[in-house]
Amino acid sequence: MSEQSALSRDRFFLKADRITKIYSDGTVALKEASLEVRPYEIVGLLGENGAGKTTLTKILSGLLPPTRGRVISPKGPIRFSSPREALDFGIGMVHQHFALVGTFTAAENVALSHDRPFTRVRIAETQQALESLMEESGLRVPLDVPIEKLAVGEQQRVEILKVLSRDVELLILDEPTSVLTPLEVDELFELLRRLREEGKSIILITHKLKEVGSVTDRVVVLRHGEMVGDVKTSEASTEQLASLMVGQALEEEADAVELSTEEIPHKRERKPIDRSGDGVLHVRDLVVNGNTGEIAVDGVSFDVYAGEIFGIAGVEGNGQSELVESLTGLRVPISGTATIHGANILGIDPRQIYRLGVAHIPEDRWELGLVLPFTLAENAILGVHRWEEFRGPLTFLRWGKINRHVRELMDRFDIQATGPNAPARSLSGGNQQKLIVGRELAKDPAIIVASQPTRGLDIGAAHYIRKTLLDMRDKGCAILLVSADLDEVLAHADRVGIMYEGRFMDVCTPDELDRKRVGMLMGGAKSKEGE
Amino acid sequence: MSPNESSEQSRLLRGAHRTLTGLHPALESLLAALVGLLVGAILMYIYGFDPWKAYMGLVKGAFGGSYEIASSLARATPLILTALTFSICLRAGMFNIGAEGQMYMGGIASVVVACFALPTGLHQIAGLLFAAFAGAVWSLVPAFLKLTRGVHEVISTIMFNWIARWLALYLAIYVIVDPMRPEKTLSIPMSARFPVLVRGTDLSYTIFVAIAFALVIYFILWHTAIGYEVRAAGLNPTAARYGGIRNKRTMFLSFVLGGVAAGLAGATIVMGLPPTYAIYGGGGLPQLMNLGFDGMAVAMVGRNHPIGILAAAVFFGGLNAGGRVMQFYGSNPVPLEMVRVVMGAIVLVMSIPELIRLFPMIKKQGGRLIERLRRITRRTERGESA
Repeated sequence: MSEQSALSRDRFFLKADRITKIYSDGTVALKEASLEVRPYEIVGLLGENGAGKTTLTKILSGLLPPTRGRVISPKGPIRFSSPREALDFGIGMVHQHFALVGTFTAAENVALSHDRPFTRVRIAETQQALESLMEESGLRVPLDVPIEKLAVGEQQRVEILKVLSRDVELLILDEPTSVLTPLEVDELFELLRRLREEGKSIILITHKLKEVGSVTDRVVVLRHGEMVGDVKTSEASTEQLASLMVGQALEEEADAVELSTEEIPHKRERKPIDRSGDGVLHVRDLVVNGNTGEIAVDGVSFDVYAGEIFGIAGVEGNGQSELVESLTGLRVPISGTATIHGANILGIDPRQIYRLGVAHIPEDRWELGLVLPFTLAENAILGVHRWEEFRGPLTFLRWGKINRHVRELMDRFDIQATGPNAPARSLSGGNQQKLIVGRELAKDPAIIVASQPTRGLDIGAAHYIRKTLLDMRDKGCAILLVSADLDEVLAHADRVGIMYEGRFMDVCTPDELDRKRVGMLMGGAKSKEGE
Repeated sequence: MSPNESSEQSRLLRGAHRTLTGLHPALESLLAALVGLLVGAILMYIYGFDPWKAYMGLVKGAFGGSYEIASSLARATPLILTALTFSICLRAGMFNIGAEGQMYMGGIASVVVACFALPTGLHQIAGLLFAAFAGAVWSLVPAFLKLTRGVHEVISTIMFNWIARWLALYLAIYVIVDPMRPEKTLSIPMSARFPVLVRGTDLSYTIFVAIAFALVIYFILWHTAIGYEVRAAGLNPTAARYGGIRNKRTMFLSFVLGGVAAGLAGATIVMGLPPTYAIYGGGGLPQLMNLGFDGMAVAMVGRNHPIGILAAAVFFGGLNAGGRVMQFYGSNPVPLEMVRVVMGAIVLVMSIPELIRLFPMIKKQGGRLIERLRRITRRTERGESA
């Protein structure tokens, strides 16, 4: 390693050269993206969800092979076939989801990461080595307590120790602050600065603008898999980074997509929205816990009126999922009220909520929306299987009627499948989503809660589903549209709430928002007027 | 239960439901049975027996005539019911290992009809009801423990098997014991016995009870909203919750139905197995022992489908009946234990996914071979015509 630490500050440690990554399902995650890291440097890798940040770092750390392009070290191109090889070279990655054994202590976990098959596991030696490493780095964790008893921040430090104990020169951190409290974030950044002084290179993946400004030396911005910026942090303004991250102009893109006039949402002819009264969905001061007991939704209030689309934008993981789950009966909130046409919907069964006229297009098609081994017909009655039209005496299911209903859905929503008895698993993603949308709209709902309705779909299917939602809006249905796809929200919503850390940063119409401002709000920076 | 644990279990269960090869499930079971028989044959060969002769004896003993078929069916009867116990709960997403204990309780409960008189017909129904009730109660306790205290059902049902075993022994020896013959319980009176179906065999009308119950379960699972909910909750509990299904209720229901099936299995032995129509306490309940566990193997081979279970139970019943003949067949006395080795091998084969993945490979290679043969024959035909 002495050779590498002797490298001067100007020479690079590792370079990604025009890397393209196409996944086996055809998704293009990276398009000719390049990135260079030098010693004594913290590089921020900035981008929205799905911009390709994680893919790029996975390629650098040997988890994924690139489709095209090379990874270059000062000695020439290198190719890692496993993370272990990358570690041996001096590249370590701390993933968003920790790879720790909960019942093991920190020392045991680190020893495990050093373990090779058929060699003795050296816990005692590891413990000693860790103690001196902790002394050096100032990174303190209890070594003899099971991991599951540690706080998330401490677990993350164990992950960092695990990587540091392998003498890495390049440390990659994937969204490290998303699980930390503000104090822990400060401690982490302090550590990163110390590591930089030792000559290490660090890549910090984030979508929070504030963090980029406070700790990085250089920022690389990715958008839709392409590198759109590589700037010194000191020379870039927050506004500039925000607009790089979310793209320059919505108008241009909207024109580029060929849409007939009737399909451009805001040019459709429509009745003015009546915003008097409480609206179809009326939410006040909603507070909801996340999975680990943290506050995920922190006092949110809004109304959705008949015939309008209320969009919720924001980077994923800022409380959108928990908000949707609490409104659809899947999660019991801490406090607050939510009503549909005056009837309470909090803390009651999903089945009762559907009776009140709620349709829910869930964000996770495979886990929530469908029972994959079930047939098309079986999936088409999920949630409505006890409705009178499908059920005879003694809860006998009327398969004849159900199959007729499914065939109607297949016609109406253009679901490509061999028949009502095809397993849902055999359908393409787009057809699965059309099946869910069809099932939900067949409930004749008063409000549709659509969460990431077009995620992972091809353009045709996504377009179809957006159009369907607009049709429902024009028929007077209220729609709550939650999406990480900013363009989707801005193009379709009548009003937009931008969520950051469980709160609305702002609620306004899309016309009042330019992309720069949206980017800043999504990144947690209040606009100047707001302050 | 932590979310992690439940997702781990649902992953496991999904593995249990999945057809591993993409072949038709029935074909897969058939192949596993053949491989199991092959393993048995190899073992017999190693131990110096003639596998061919042994299997001839087995087949003749199982299906060689009306007497043999009848005794195979008689052995299949309780297996159908205990297999249903396991399958219903698996369909709902749980491993109910407690068929054994639930069956003991059902058997003991049905002996109670010996204590009072009722007209024929009603007396049988009373016995079945008693058994069903006892089995359901015995199954409900683990279900209740799981729902309220998070006790894992595998642990609790196994423990309940032991409790049931000793409780049943105690009751058989001290409480409902036949005062004249203390090695057995009271015998079921004539009015409550299920008549023998084929004269001179031990096949009785109880087989209709088993078949009817299998059909009822089939209709519940695939043709009612309740069964739909059970299956949805078993395959994907998260999606089921999204669909407004109360998973706790489906769990409870599946345990009740499973307990009823196991209880009935006990009743079929007590009320339909000549000549004693009673439970022997001596030797540790020999008539009942292991029927619950064998049911799990039957369920697996029957792919947890009531109709598949009917076929698999006849196969296992045949193995049991034929195995007895195999022991005495000609100059080749293969011990009865070998039949259990075959059963074990079948179950093992079915649970080794890697091994089962060989089947499509065999299919593919076989397809290629056939294709090549066809080409050769075509070529020779062409050659001949030229």
